Formats: sequence, structure tokens, C-alpha cells
Amino acid sequence: MLDTLDSKTATPVTLAWTGVVRHLHITPRAFLPMRAMAELQLIAGKGIDSDRYMIGREEGFYSSKPEEGRQVTLFEIETLLALKRDHNIDLAPEEHRRNVTVAGVPLTHLVGQKFWLGETLLEATRLSIPCRHIEEITGKAIFDPLINRSGLNCKILQGGTVRVGDAVRNAA
Amino acid sequence: MTLPITTVKTIVDRIEDGGAGIKVFRLVDPDRWQLPPFRPGAHIDLHLPGGMVRTYSLCNDPADNARYVVAVKREAAGRGGSVLLHDAIDVGDTIGVSLPRGGLDLPDDVTRFAFVAGGIGVTPFLSVAAWLKRVGRPKFTLHLIARGAPPLAHLLVPLLRSGHLVVHDTAAAARPHIAALVGRPLSDVGLGCCGPESMIGDFEQATRDWPASRVHIERFVPPPLPVDPDARPYTLALARSKLEIPVAAGQTMLSALLGVGIDIPASCCGGICGSCKVDWLEGAPIHRDRVLSPTERARSLMVCVAESAEDRLVLDL
Ligand code: FES
Repeated sequence: MLDTLDSKTATPVTLAWTGVVRHLHITPRAFLPMRAMAELQLIAGKGIDSDRYMIGREEGFYSSKPEEGRQVTLFEIETLLALKRDHNIDLAPEEHRRNVTVAGVPLTHLVGQKFWLGETLLEATRLSIPCRHIEEITGKAIFDPLINRSGLNCKILQGGTVRVGDAVRNAA
Repeated sequence: MTLPITTVKTIVDRIEDGGAGIKVFRLVDPDRWQLPPFRPGAHIDLHLPGGMVRTYSLCNDPADNARYVVAVKREAAGRGGSVLLHDAIDVGDTIGVSLPRGGLDLPDDVTRFAFVAGGIGVTPFLSVAAWLKRVGRPKFTLHLIARGAPPLAHLLVPLLRSGHLVVHDTAAAARPHIAALVGRPLSDVGLGCCGPESMIGDFEQATRDWPASRVHIERFVPPPLPVDPDARPYTLALARSKLEIPVAAGQTMLSALLGVGIDIPASCCGGICGSCKVDWLEGAPIHRDRVLSPTERARSLMVCVAESAEDRLVLDL
């Protein structure tokens, strides 16, 4: 649970949230379009079945830099709405190149925390950083607007099936 | 050492004879995944064995994103790419390709098109023609100027049948005047040309009164990627490995270093993550990153975004 204490009033502040999985995407190799899926198989300690960063597959843009904490990546749908609102950029869920698009999940607060994505248990390892090559792939100037809100990298502690519509919950 | 993946991995799925010394290569994803999208008239680079990189127009309909189709004429006196593709590449071989680039602007207010192609220069207009027909903008004529039998006859049949193609056989009749093919400037007409340099010269002459935005010229050797007009080439000198590496105008230091096999741990490629930091020893770097403090810049730079203000920059590598 995310608790802080407001020092002036000594009131405990709790960040309460329940989110939902809106889109699921994978791609088998760097640069290829992401494909929408109704469900994904998450394999503990390894990654997403058939995705480019699945350990052993290593066909992603960053595969030359293997990273244990990048087994699955998440992205806030609210960022897509903000890109439209603040920069008039239409970015579709398949274009941000993260695997899971969620609604109502404060991803930036979750680094170091565990949470449930449907029946799977994830541990957030670090914030994703945008990559310049996404501008080349999408033809859209999104590198700058995505700084600090480019998603979350996670490790899979407990695998299973994740479906569109699944709940996302804190695991405190 | 693994270097980053910088190309789209494809395999050769089919090779067809296109006549006139041409082979048509069909490239697909190894898992038959869809390929990155392309615009009508776009081209891709093929990264061939031995480090050769050759550019070819895509011939298929952009809606067909399961494959990239390129037609390659064997040029025995060329620089070796076409010969290698013809003689050494087989079905099942792997070829890395770039993301598709370029393509024709086909704005909605242009309702008619005239395209002039010389020989194998017909290729970019095959994807354009397929696209125009599919989206219901069928008012175009493709003039193909060739000596004898036209190249890629099997790909041209549908265009011939639908009355979109006019073949000008210069073995049977005099070469047509390009000025007569393109006519006079009209606001709703767009033009395109691809062929040998002499034909492009004639075309440029014939279209000099046309607004530039209505005229597209595709050269066999495509112009380099548009670069910042202020960008300039320079040399990177690597103090420890005693290498001198040329960096082309607009190229990043990172790609120049990776190009000679020096692995740099890059991640964002945009000057924010801090992973590609290298120390510099002599010269005048232009930094452009957003991670280094002024003190750090006195000693280090980020090779994904930094440039050099002088002809030579010495790195501690
Ligand atoms: S790769 Fe991120 S700063 Fe250069």
C-alpha cells in the first residue's frame, strides 16, 4: 500500500486504485508492428510467450542488453489521452510498443512494488524510457512528450493468462 | 558481443523471373508476421552479406503488409549488389532490411496522375498504381519507356488490362517526347518519374513550369536521408584503439561507432538515459543531450546525440 503522512495535519494519505487491462500487444521481433491479442501467456521469470523480449528469444531492439526486469512492459492509457490533449498527437495503443495498456493504474508510483495483473503477479523494476527509434517507426514526434511517462518495466513473479478486461490491483 | 538489432529481419520466400534479366524477390517475416507499413512508392535498403547496402523500390500494394516485393535487375557492371542478389541469394535466405522510407505524396486534391518510367524504373509506380486503384482514384496513366519486351511483364498485365499502362517500345518506334506525355501544368494533375539519369533530365526539363509539390522524381540511387542543413561531416579519432572513423553529415556518432563494430551501450538514442556516455579528449563537441551537467560535459559526451563543431574529435575509446 502506498502510504505517506501529511506532515502538517498528520493525516495518513493512501493511494487507492483498481485498474483494468485495456489492450494487450506483442510482436516477435524489433521494428515489426505490434499485434493486438485477446490474451497473453505470462511465464514467470521469463516473459510473454512469443514476444520479442521473452528470455531465450532475444529478438527485441534492446535484446543486446538483456534485462531481467523487462519481462513485460505496461503503459497508461491516460498518457495516450494526454498526448492528444496536450500535443494533439494521436498515438494508438499498438504504437507505444509496450505490451499491456492499462487504465486507472498509477504506473509511476509502482516502481519497487508488487501488483496483480489479472491472475499474474508482477514486480515493477523501473520506469521505461522512451527510445528515439519509436519516432522512426511511428513517424510521430513523441520522444519528448513521452519522457517520464513511457511506461513501466516489470518482472513476472507468478505467471498465468492475462486477458483484456482483467483487473489490476495492488498486492500489498 | 551482441550488437543491437538495427534491421528488420526477413527471409526470401519466393524468387520469380521478371524477364529482361530481372529477378523478383518476395521477402517475408520468418513467422509471417505483418511487416512495418510503407507508403506507395516507398523503398527499402537491403543489407546484403559482406556489408553491402542496396536500395530498392517496393513493388507491391502497401495494403499487402505481409511481404516486401522488390525487383532487381542484374547489372554485371554495377557495384555488385544486384549480382550478389541474383547469384548468391536463394529462397530461405535471411536478409535484413531497413524500415521503408520515402514514397509519393498523393494529396486528395490531385485527381489525375501521369507517371513516366524508364525500364526497371517502373517499380515504384507498381505500388503507387496498386494503391490508387484500391482507394478508388483510378485516373492515372503510367508511361513505360523500354527497349523491346517490357520488364516485369507479369506484374504489368493487370495495368495493361485496365488501360492504365502505355508501353513505348523504343525498338519499334521513336522515343516519345516526355513533354508530350506530361502536358501542361494543371492544378489537379500530379506527375512522377523514375528512370535513368538522362530520362530524369528530360523530365526535369519538361516539368520546369510545374509547381514542385506536384512533381515527384525517384532516382535509382535515392538521395541521402534529409539532414539538418547545418550538419557537417567530421572524423572521430579513437585515442586508445587508434582508429579514425568518418562520420557523415547528419549521421550519429553512435551509428558510426556501431558501424565499425564498437559496441556502445545505448538505450534511448535521444540523449536522456545516460547510457552511451563516452569521454572526449580533444576537439569541440556540440552536446545536445539532456543528462550531462556543464562540469560533466567538459569531459564526457553522449554519442547518440553529440556532434562535432570541428573536423576532428578525439574520443577516449
Ligand atoms: S543512448 Fe541514451 S543518452 Fe545516449
